Amino acid sequence: MNVLFALATGAMFAMGVFQLLRRDLIKVAMGFYILFTAINFLLLAVGAFEGEHAAYVNAANQVEGGQPSDPLVQALILTAIVISFGSYALLTALIVVASRRFRTVNTDGIDRLQR
Amino acid sequence: MEIALFAAIPFLLALLMAGLRERSKPGLQGGLLTLALAGLSLFGLLQLPTVTAQPGIYILEWVPQIGLALSFYLDGLALLFVVLITAVGAVITFYSGTYFEDGRKSGRFLALLMAFTGAMLGLVTAGNVLTLFIAWELTSIISFLLIGFYGDEKARRGSLQALLVTGGGGLALLVGLLLLAGAAGSSELAVILSSGETLRAHPWYGAIAILIFIGCFSKSAQWPLHFWLPGAMTAPTPASAFLHSATMVKAGIYLLARLQPALGETALWQGALIGFGLITLLVGAALALRQDDLKGALAYSTVSQLGVLVALIGLPGGEGLKAALVGILAHALYKGALFLTVGAVDHATGTRDLSKLGGLRSAMPAFALVALISGLSMAGVPPLFGFVGKELFIEASLKTLPLLVTLAVVTVSAALTVAMAFILFWDVFMRKAPEQADSHAESHFHPPQRWMAAGPLGMAALSVGLGLGISPLVTPLVEAAVGKPISLYLFPPGGINQAFILSMIALAGGGAIFATRSIWRGWRLPTAPTGAAIYQGLVRGVEWCADQLLKSQNGRIRHYLIVILLAVIALMSVTSLQNAVDFSRLTLEIRDAADVLKIVLIVLSLGATLTSILFRKHLLAALALGVAGYSIGGLFLLEPAPDVALVQFLVETLATVLIIMILVRTSDTERAEAMAQLWSGSHLGLWRDIAISGAVGIGVTLFALAAVANRGSTPTIATWHLENALPQTAVSDVVASIVTDFRGMDTLIEINVFGMAALGVLALLAGTRANEKKEGEHPEKAFPPPYRFEFSDALNRLAARVVLPVALLIAVAHILYAGAAPGDGFTAGVIAGLGIALWYIVFGYEGVRARLYWLHPATMIGIGLVLALINAALPLLAERAFFAFTLFPADLPAGIKLASTTIFEFAIFASVFGGISAIMEALTHPKEVETL
Repeated sequence: MNVLFALATGAMFAMGVFQLLRRDLIKVAMGFYILFTAINFLLLAVGAFEGEHAAYVNAANQVEGGQPSDPLVQALILTAIVISFGSYALLTALIVVASRRFRTVNTDGIDRLQR
Repeated sequence: MEIALFAAIPFLLALLMAGLRERSKPGLQGGLLTLALAGLSLFGLLQLPTVTAQPGIYILEWVPQIGLALSFYLDGLALLFVVLITAVGAVITFYSGTYFEDGRKSGRFLALLMAFTGAMLGLVTAGNVLTLFIAWELTSIISFLLIGFYGDEKARRGSLQALLVTGGGGLALLVGLLLLAGAAGSSELAVILSSGETLRAHPWYGAIAILIFIGCFSKSAQWPLHFWLPGAMTAPTPASAFLHSATMVKAGIYLLARLQPALGETALWQGALIGFGLITLLVGAALALRQDDLKGALAYSTVSQLGVLVALIGLPGGEGLKAALVGILAHALYKGALFLTVGAVDHATGTRDLSKLGGLRSAMPAFALVALISGLSMAGVPPLFGFVGKELFIEASLKTLPLLVTLAVVTVSAALTVAMAFILFWDVFMRKAPEQADSHAESHFHPPQRWMAAGPLGMAALSVGLGLGISPLVTPLVEAAVGKPISLYLFPPGGINQAFILSMIALAGGGAIFATRSIWRGWRLPTAPTGAAIYQGLVRGVEWCADQLLKSQNGRIRHYLIVILLAVIALMSVTSLQNAVDFSRLTLEIRDAADVLKIVLIVLSLGATLTSILFRKHLLAALALGVAGYSIGGLFLLEPAPDVALVQFLVETLATVLIIMILVRTSDTERAEAMAQLWSGSHLGLWRDIAISGAVGIGVTLFALAAVANRGSTPTIATWHLENALPQTAVSDVVASIVTDFRGMDTLIEINVFGMAALGVLALLAGTRANEKKEGEHPEKAFPPPYRFEFSDALNRLAARVVLPVALLIAVAHILYAGAAPGDGFTAGVIAGLGIALWYIVFGYEGVRARLYWLHPATMIGIGLVLALINAALPLLAERAFFAFTLFPADLPAGIKLASTTIFEFAIFASVFGGISAIMEALTHPKEVETL
C-alpha cells in the first residue's frame, strides 16, 4: 500500500504545482492546500509499517489484535494538518489584502511589489 | 591582560559620550576625553621598557575551531602607534571641545571618535590577523560615519566613495590574510612573524602579497586608489586631522611595516612598494599645489607623504623603517596642527577657499604661529622635527635607490612640498586679503574660541622640541619599534653630507616654485583618466548591470515560480542520476477489503482534487477540495489512525468554511474576472505548466518511492514509541504520547506557529491602522465595505446557541480522555473553534462581541502558549529535564489521568481555539483593510 501512497503523493504534488502556476490567486491558495495534502500522503507512505490496528496499547502494554499502525507518522500528520490550516488561513488573508490593494486577484496584475 | 585595555577603554568612553551628549557642554566632553586619552598615552609610554625586552601577548579564545582568537600583541612597533594614536587623540578631543557649539553634536562626534580610537588601537595591538581585520573594517565603517557626519549630498557621496574603496580593499585584504594564515599554519601574529622563510618560499606568496598590497594601498590612499582621501574632506576637520591624516590612513603603513619581517625583502615587495610609493609621492605633491580648498591641499599633501612612507618600507634591507617611523611621527605633528589650523580658519571666516583668504595674522596670531612652525616643519627646515624626517628619507633613498631617481622624484617632490607649505602659511596669514574676500571675511569673521589654539600650539611646540631633542626623546620609542639600536641626530655628525645638500636644493627649489606659484596653479593639465574617473565608471557600470538584471524581473510572480521550479527539477534530476535507487524492492500487497477501500479513497481524493482544478467557479472548486479532504480523512480512518482522521474531518470542515468566507470577502467582480480567464491563456502556456508540474510530480513520485524503497526495516523509533508510551507517559494512545511528550517540543513550536499565523490573519484583516485619510485622498478608489456576516434568524440563532456549549463540552471530554481515546487537544480546539465559527457567521462580528464578552482570541492564544511553556519549564525547578513527565496522583474515573501532559493538552486546546477564533474574528471584521 505504501507504494500507492507514494504514487498518490506525486500525483497530488503535480496537481498542486499546476494550481500554483495559475493566474488566479484563489486557485493558487488552493494549490498550496493540495501541496499540504500531498505532504501528508508522503508521511503516510514512509510510515515504518503497514498496520491493521490503531496504535493503542492495553493495560498490559500490548497492542491488541496484531500489527499496529505507525504512531510516529500519525503524530507528524496530526500537527501538520493543524499547521496547514493556519498557513492556509494566512495565505487567504493575504489574498484579501492583495485584492484590496491591487484591485485584482490576478497575479499578473500585481506588479507593484517593490513598494 | 593590560594590553587589551588600550582597545577596550576607548569603546567604554564612546558609550559614556553617547550617554553624556544630552546633558553636557562640548568643552566638558572634550576635556574629559583628553584626560582619559592622555592617561592612556602615558600608560603606553610606561610599557616601553617591558615590550622592548619581550613583546606582550594576551590571548582570549573566541572561536578556537576556526583559529579565531581575540589576541593582543604589543611590541615596540605597536606601542609607537599606540602612543601616537592616544597622544594625537588627546589633542583632537580637546580641540573638538572648542570646535562644536552644540553638546549633542559634539557628543555624537566624540562618541564616534572614541569608537574609532578603540578600533584603531585594536588594529595596532591585534595579535591575530583575523581580529586585526575586524578592527581594520571597524575603522573603515566609523570613517564612513564621520565623513558623512554632516549628512549633506557631498558628504554622503564622499563617505560612500571612501567606504567602497577602503571596504573593497578590505575584502582583498581579508583574502590575503586568510591565505597568509593558511600558509603560516596559524592566524596568530607571533607565529606568522616567525615563519618568514616558509612564507616567502610558499607558492601562495605572490597572491598573498598582492592582496595585502591592495588592502593597504586602498587604506593608505596610494595612487591610483588615492582619490577617496580628498573626497573624505567633508568630515568635520578634527576628524580629518585625526583619521585622514594622523592615524587611519597610516593603518596600511602599519600593516606593511608589521609584515615586512615576514613578507619583505623580495623583488615583488620592494618593486611594488617603491614603485607605487614614489608615484604616489610625486602625484600627491603635484596635485596638492593645484587645490583651492585648503583641506583638499592638505589631503593631497598627506597622500604624498603616505607615498613616502610606503616607499620607505619597501627599501631593501629594512633601511627605510627608521625613516618611516620618524616620518610618521613628524607628519602627524605638523599635518595635524595644520589641519586644526585650517579648521579654525574655516570656523572663523566661513571659508577655506585659498583664493578668498588672506591677511589673517593679526586676527588669529596664535594660529599664524602654529602655521609658521608647522609649515616649516613640513618644508623640512632645520631644526624642526620634519627636517629630521626628510633627512632620513633622502639619506635612505640615496643609500638604496639610483641617484637619478632620488634627484628626479624625491627632490622634486620635496620641493613641491616646500612650496605647498609656504603657500599654506603665506597666502592664508601674510599676504593682503583679496578684494572680494575682504567684505566676506571681515563681515562674517568671528574670533576663534579662546582655547582652540591650545592643542595646535602644543603640537607645534612638540615639532620644535622633538626636533631639537631628537636624540634623547624620540630614539627610545623608534628603537623599540625598529628592534635594533639606532642613532638619530639633527645634524649629521660628520658635517654636511649628500642628503643635507639635496635637502637644501629642495628648499631652494620650493622657494622658487612658491614665488612662481601663480603660473603653476594656472596651468591646464591634460586630462588623463584618474582613479576617481575609473571609480565613477565602475559605479555606473554596476548600476547598469543592476538595470539589466532588473529587466529580467518582469514582475510576474508566476514566471519567478517557473524559474524556481525548473531549478528544482534540474537539481532533482542530477541527484537522482547520481544516486541509483533499487526500486525492485518495492512490493505492492493488497491484503484485505480495507486495502481495496483505501485504493478507492485514494482515487476519489485524487479525482476530487483534479475536479477542483477543472472547475471554473471558486465555490465548486472549494467544495471539491472538501470532498478530497474527507476522502483522505476516510483513508486515515482505515490506516487505522483514528486521532488523525478526527482532526482531518474537523479541519477539512473548517477549511471549507474558511475558503467560503474568504470568497465572500473578496470582490465578486475581481473573482468573476479571474474565473472567466481561467483557461483563456495560450495553449502553449498551458502545456508548459502541465509539463512543469508533471516533471515536478514525477520527481516527487520517484523521491517518495525511493524513500519507501530505502527505508530501513523495523525496529524503528516507532516500535520504541509503542513500547514506551504506557510505561513512560501513562497513556495508552501512543499518538497522544508522541504529541504531548516524546515530541512535545515539536508540538510546542507548532502551536506557536499556528498562533502566530492566526495573529497574522488578525493583523492583516482587522489591523488597527486607520485608513480613512487615504480613502479621502483617492475618492475614485472608494470601495464598498466588506460583506457583513449576519444570518440572524431564529433557527440559526438557536442552533448556534445550542452548538457552542455542546462543542465546548465535547472539547473538554476530548482533553480529559486524550490519553485513552481518539481525540486530543487539537481536536478539542477545532471542535470548539467550529462552534465559534458558527457564532461569527450567525451573529456577525458585533453580535459575537456583544454576546460572548469572555472571548478574547489573542489573549487565549497567549494563555495557551504561556501555559504550555510554564508546564514544560516547571520540572526545571525540581532539577529535572525541560518537558519532564509528571503524573499527579489522584483518584479519578477510568480513562482519566491527571498529568503534565493533560495540562499540555489544555494549552494546545487554548491556543488552537484562540487561533481559530482569531481567524474567524478577522474574517468577519467589519473594518475595511488598508488600501493603497
